[in-house]
Amino acid sequence: MRDWTHGGLARGLLAATALIFLVAGLGLVAALFLGAWRFLGEPSALSNLFGDFWDPLRNRYGVLPFIVGSVVVTLGALVMAVPLALGVAVTLAEQRTAGMKDFAVRALTVLTAVPSVIFGWWGLQMVVPWVRARVGGPGFSLLAAGIVLALMVLPTFSLFFFQSLERVPQSLREGSAALGATPDQTLWRVAFRAAMPGLTNGLLVGVARALGETMAVQMVIGGQTALPSSLTSPGATLTTQIITDMTVFPPGTRGHAVLDIMALLLMLGMYVLVRLAERWGSVS
Amino acid sequence: MPPEIRVEGLSVWYDRHHALKQVSLEVAPGEVLALIGPSGCGKSTFLRTLNRLLEEGGRARISGRVFLGDADIYDAAADIPDLRRRVGMVFQAPNPFPFSIFDNVAYGPRLQGVTDRQALRRIVERSLQQAALWDEVRGKLRRSALTLSGGQQQRLCIARALAVEPEVLLMDEPTASLDPMSTTKIEELVAALRGRYTIVMVTHNLRQAARISDRTAFFAEGTLIEVGPTRQMFTAPLDPRTEQYLTGRYES
Repeated sequence: MRDWTHGGLARGLLAATALIFLVAGLGLVAALFLGAWRFLGEPSALSNLFGDFWDPLRNRYGVLPFIVGSVVVTLGALVMAVPLALGVAVTLAEQRTAGMKDFAVRALTVLTAVPSVIFGWWGLQMVVPWVRARVGGPGFSLLAAGIVLALMVLPTFSLFFFQSLERVPQSLREGSAALGATPDQTLWRVAFRAAMPGLTNGLLVGVARALGETMAVQMVIGGQTALPSSLTSPGATLTTQIITDMTVFPPGTRGHAVLDIMALLLMLGMYVLVRLAERWGSVS
Repeated sequence: MPPEIRVEGLSVWYDRHHALKQVSLEVAPGEVLALIGPSGCGKSTFLRTLNRLLEEGGRARISGRVFLGDADIYDAAADIPDLRRRVGMVFQAPNPFPFSIFDNVAYGPRLQGVTDRQALRRIVERSLQQAALWDEVRGKLRRSALTLSGGQQQRLCIARALAVEPEVLLMDEPTASLDPMSTTKIEELVAALRGRYTIVMVTHNLRQAARISDRTAFFAEGTLIEVGPTRQMFTAPLDPRTEQYLTGRYES
């Protein structure tokens, strides 16, 4: 007779779940690595891989344009979204009426749940023509992708920032005010500082979301595989290039092996972000 | 010489609740005034009117006048940050900022624009000495204030309040969350600060009020029942309600 009464069931379930995570997670990495090995095992694979040119027909598999694309688009989105999100968060946190806060939190939560294809669709109709009208060219560009991504991660950032500001104890704000601090001084010198672990955490989660976003970016970035020459030139990111070439390179081909490598690079980036979030985001 | 405090006809409402009713009271320069009374009697509310912290919550309505020295602090032209620099406050639960010990004490002076490191260091050392914490934290000023014990944190908060050289110190049950040893230290500290600062202290601990205050004020149901020299209040109170409270028979 199994011992179901003293936590035996719970322990069993826990073990099973842990095993599933282990198999799924490690299995994924192992599968990618096995796929990637076909290419990585070649002589001068790395110099080919980190070249700045992607032309599989001529045997050139440089992924640098996509790394640059991913970094530039993500950074661009951050530069636009973070100040706005901080503004939203501060405005909400300073609200004294609970009703307004509740409403805003609900609205933001709904916005975080909007499928990314809708942001992409909106970008296609609004942002791409706008860029085209402003700077000429096709309009499909790193800039357009950055703007769409900024809009997309804005609710996520706002919610995280707001919640970490809300968690700053009232007693700290009062302590600051009682020392003669103006509301602005309390905000800058106490609230932001005390909320820093939460703010950092939110930042990294938002970065991870932006870095991993595929559909919305793919719809507006233009998909050019050369190293982008400016913000307004078309480009591609690691994620969008994977989706573009997924159908071109069937499993077993060299191109597919390079896509595996790109996926591994993405996972590595995510892993670093998660570790950073744990390290800087933890409460000191 | 610290200023006197003169309160005239002070009333406070929270929404419909009349929390403080027509309180008039004077605090002499440099004395320690204890505020006692049952929970919810308005003594903490009263304390928070003296540095206008009550308005931070946004719900309270206040009428009446409070003079610090010659100036009415509720005057429309009153400078609230300056008022709070002159009237320091120590809270019921220690509330150090999650910064280093040094940055906690230097917080107030930095608000005033002091940036010179030498000057800040002198202020921090002097304030920690005044708060009887220096010997325990010297050489550890870069550590987080949250590593200190509760009693040390409360003395750190006192040092933080003293660092801006206030004239008045408001204390809202400063020993409520502390163990007896730490309580004794805080009481000794208050005794040492008497005379240099005008001190108004809320306490639930009647022995504490008897030990360290010059005068005692008894509040009940938002009204100031009686105020007088502590010795007289505890031996021969004028109002029967005060006597009932002191002997544990008061029912609000």
